[in-house]
Amino acid sequence: MTRTALKALALATVAATGLVLSGCSSGAGSADDDTVTLWIRDYQRELVTPLAEAFNATHETQVEITLVPTTTFVQKLATAVAGGNPPDMASLDLVFTPYFSQAGALLDVTDRVEALPYADDLSPAHVAQATFDERVYGVPFTGDASVLFYNKGLFAEAGLDPDDPPATYDELLEAAKAVRALGGSNYGFAFSGACGGCNIFSFTPLIWASDGSVLSEDGRTAQLDSQPVTDALQLYRDLWEADTMPSLVRTDAGPNAATAFQEGVVGMRGDGTAFLGALEAGGQVDFGVAPLPGRDGGTASFAGGDDLSIMSGSDDPDGAWEFLEWATDVEAQTILADQSVLPIRLDLHDSIYVPADPRRQVFADALEVGRVPYSPVENELFNDNNGVWATMISRAVFDGDVEAAQRDAQRDAQATLDAVVHDEEGDR
Amino acid sequence: MTAPVVDRAGSALRQPSARRADRRAGAVQGRRRLTGVLLVLPALLLLGTFFLYPLARTVVMSTFTWPLLGNRAFIGLGNYLEAFGDQAFLSAIGFTLVYTLVVTPVLLAVGLVLAGLVQRRTRAARIFQTVYFLPVVIGLASASYLFLFLWQPVIGPTTNLLAGLGVLDVTTNLFGDAVGAFVVVLLLVVWKTAGLQMLLLLSGFQSIPQEVNEAAAVDGATGWQRFVHVTLPLLRPTLALVLVFSVAGSLLAFDQFYILTAGGPDNSTITAVYQIFRSSFIQLDLGYGAALSLLLMLVLGLVSAGQLLLLRNSDHS
Repeated sequence: MTRTALKALALATVAATGLVLSGCSSGAGSADDDTVTLWIRDYQRELVTPLAEAFNATHETQVEITLVPTTTFVQKLATAVAGGNPPDMASLDLVFTPYFSQAGALLDVTDRVEALPYADDLSPAHVAQATFDERVYGVPFTGDASVLFYNKGLFAEAGLDPDDPPATYDELLEAAKAVRALGGSNYGFAFSGACGGCNIFSFTPLIWASDGSVLSEDGRTAQLDSQPVTDALQLYRDLWEADTMPSLVRTDAGPNAATAFQEGVVGMRGDGTAFLGALEAGGQVDFGVAPLPGRDGGTASFAGGDDLSIMSGSDDPDGAWEFLEWATDVEAQTILADQSVLPIRLDLHDSIYVPADPRRQVFADALEVGRVPYSPVENELFNDNNGVWATMISRAVFDGDVEAAQRDAQRDAQATLDAVVHDEEGDR
Repeated sequence: MTAPVVDRAGSALRQPSARRADRRAGAVQGRRRLTGVLLVLPALLLLGTFFLYPLARTVVMSTFTWPLLGNRAFIGLGNYLEAFGDQAFLSAIGFTLVYTLVVTPVLLAVGLVLAGLVQRRTRAARIFQTVYFLPVVIGLASASYLFLFLWQPVIGPTTNLLAGLGVLDVTTNLFGDAVGAFVVVLLLVVWKTAGLQMLLLLSGFQSIPQEVNEAAAVDGATGWQRFVHVTLPLLRPTLALVLVFSVAGSLLAFDQFYILTAGGPDNSTITAVYQIFRSSFIQLDLGYGAALSLLLMLVLGLVSAGQLLLLRNSDHS
């Protein structure tokens, strides 16, 4: 081979290597300019934008936000991961973290999280959701907790004590009937009957508070046909039968039941911190908050919100971690708390969250004991509005055949769970 | 397609002429062929990129366990076998067929009536023709959201109107009952697509020679007899087109159900495409979704072919 040919070959090799390298780095934003990309859901824009601005003003690393439509967030993120082109970070509704961590899409940050001085004060439910095989794949980001909202004005009118909210199923049913007895367009209770996600958030706590559950601890066995589930479904069935709920609840996939409470014509409703913010801002309804009750007392809450994770394909994990660490610290959590987001740092509640409104104490307490069903198929089982969970509730509450609804749901849920276990074993 | 061109070029060659002319003609022939290829190339590229490649890929995917994330595994016809035992998919297919069977005749009848109404060649008829056609140019998703609001209990204008007329109670939640939800979807689809059917049928009407009808009238046929025995048979090609359009559209129904009923109440209004969407993007099982898509495509092809055959055969009878 002549020298010219060798030289040409060498040049070609260098060029090709360059191409390959630039091809790699285009994946998660360019590495050289200190920019890390973050995907959030579109409705979080006003929440997270001030956060990114505050971070960018004080750091060399710059965070660049991409808004993704809420309803297609999981598909879009998974597609980006499958296509080898994920962002550096994603803010995931914590119920989806197990799916992504088990698929290997998230970066293991166990050592970094454990090194945080406030590691033990992070919301336990958020950390549990980010954990898989004893490794941690993200940090808590935003907090939320489900509680019972009640209209104090309607309670007083109906002859109920506005400072003594219901603490058992019976008290809740009686209070709903009393408010409904006011007549007109006043209703005792409202929930979103066609919304799986709404009900895993606000209905499951009724079951947990009665020492029941919907999934076993290891997430492999469905418990939808258990007695505590029956009791909670029967409570909603009784509320519906007693005409204490407006007709819209049957088909409401989220917004309408909340609006009805905000208009002041609904006595009680289970919801979270965003609803608290909306009611505080609206200022029309004199409302109280209380923990969601169990059948004979006891309380429970669903710990909601987001985990913040670094994606496996990130080319700047250190830059991304800079943001993760900052996002869990006082400055960021204060910015969030000012927008009535519950801080995921239990040690900060008393200083930055509760003082603004004494009712916030109920949320702070709820987060400490908050729970989440852990499953990589949470979306399919519980969040799908046509899935087994939503179907079970709809059939039991509106059609009245509680037993058959539970039996079918249990069978279908278990089949879905078994398919997952089967897949995992097939992989090994 | 290129054969006639070649023939003509070939016959031109046989003229007694010099070799040079022969060669030049050969060059012309080659150039023409090249031009032909170049002209169809864009269409072929589009077809390949947006139809053939995705189709081939779908076929391949349908033979795999193909989760959105995680390991893929070849399972042959496993997805198809699963589909035939999948209660949710089978009932979705059943519902889609029922929907198609109900919606098609209603659309055709309304389209025919509208076409009859605007058939006259007057300015007023043109205005009403435009009015009836207007909903067609609204997006189906926008129209669905419109109907969703119109028919809400308590706050919906239509519900209020009907309550004012004493037809129903203002708190009636039509979406809360399978029949009510179905009726609202039906109203939406008729309002939204009857205009297109009207336009197609109208062009069919106008292609029927005036003399045929006049001759029948001279022979003493009544208006109804002329419609049944003269107009309808001559309208057959247009009817075939209209029916294939509406049946294919109905079998692929998704938006209106996704938005208006969200598959409810109690999953009673989940269509085949809705179920494919759920398999692919909620259960994140792309391979299974691909298999269901191909099954639906097969059904659609068979139904359309059957319809065309039926309508063609009756033409010769």
